[in-house]
Amino acid sequence: MTATPERELIERCRQGDETAFRELVDQYKNLVFALIARSVPNRSRAEELAQDVFLKVHKGLPYFRGESKLSTWIYRIVINALAQERPDLATTSLDNVRDGEDQARLQPAADDRSFGDLVLRDRLQKAIERLPIQYQVLINGHYMKGMRYEELAAALDMPMGTVKTHLHRAKRQLRHLLETEYR
Amino acid sequence: MRCDELEPLIEAIADGTIEPSPEDGAHVSSCPTCSARLAEARRIEQWLAAREVPQPAPAFTAAVMARIGDEKWQTERVVDIGFNVFIAAGVLVFIAFGAGLAWSLGFLTVTLDSEELLRAVFSEVEGRVISQLQTTAIAAVVLTMALALWWWAEEAAD
Repeated sequence: MTATPERELIERCRQGDETAFRELVDQYKNLVFALIARSVPNRSRAEELAQDVFLKVHKGLPYFRGESKLSTWIYRIVINALAQERPDLATTSLDNVRDGEDQARLQPAADDRSFGDLVLRDRLQKAIERLPIQYQVLINGHYMKGMRYEELAAALDMPMGTVKTHLHRAKRQLRHLLETEYR
Repeated sequence: MRCDELEPLIEAIADGTIEPSPEDGAHVSSCPTCSARLAEARRIEQWLAAREVPQPAPAFTAAVMARIGDEKWQTERVVDIGFNVFIAAGVLVFIAFGAGLAWSLGFLTVTLDSEELLRAVFSEVEGRVISQLQTTAIAAVVLTMALALWWWAEEAAD
C-alpha cells in the first residue's frame, strides 16, 4: 500500500476523516512506541504514553502550521511526553553535561564477559534510563531504523552538526555510568 | 597524558566516525586502560545496534481511536449539559417574567371582577411590559446563547 502524501493526510485528518487519522497512527506508531518503550521500561505505561502522544497529535493537528515536518512535530511531542514522565531528567541542559572529566576515574571494569549479554543489557538499559531525556532520545532514535539524523536534530532542536557530538557524549556518559555505577 | 587525550575520542573511534592516528593506535595497543575503554565502548556500540525494537500491541491503533472517541463523547456530553442548563435558565427567566407580569396585572390575586381585569389588561399592559423588558431581554439573550451553543455543538459533531 502506498503511503498517502503527508500534506494530503494532514488535510484529511483536519477535516475529521477518521480513516486518515488511523493511517497516520499506523504510519508512526512503531517509531513512537519504540522511542518511548526504550526509555520507559514498564510496557503498559509505555503503551499509555504512546497513545497519549497520538491523542495530542489529534488535538493539535488543527493548529499544526506545517512549518516543520509532521514526523519532527510528532517526535517533539514524544520528547515532551518523556520529559513529563521523567521531569528529573528533563531539565538537564546538555551544555552542562560534563564529559565525565569530573567523575570518578575508576579503572575500567574487569572483563565481565562471563556475566553474559543479559547482564550487560540489563546494566546498559538501567544506565540509559538515567541519561538526560535528550540523550536518551538521541541514543534510542539513532539506533532505530527509520529515524534520520535530520529528524533527530530537528526534534531535539539541535543543529545537524552537533547531533554526532552529542551522540558521542551520550555514549561516553553511558560508558562512565557503567564504569562507575553499574559495575 | 595520552589517556586523557584519547578519552573523549573513544566513542568516535568505537563507532568508526574517526580513524585513530598511528600514535593513538599504538597507545591503545600498549595501554590496558585505553584498550579496556575502547573494548567497552565497542561492546556498548554493538549492543545498542543489536537492541530489539519494541513493537506496540496489535490493537494499538484501535485503542488510540477508541480513546479519541471517548474524548469526543466527553466533550459532547459537556456541551449537552451546558445547553440543557442554558435552556432551563432561559425557561425559568421566562416563567419569572410571566409571573411578574401576571402579578403586576393582578392576575395572581383572587378577584371576581372581570371588568377590572380586562381594564387592567388593556390600560396597563403596555407600561407593565415595558417595566419587564429587562427581564425579557435577559431571557432572550440566554435562549439565543443556548441555541448558538447547540448549533456549534451540531457543527462540531458533524
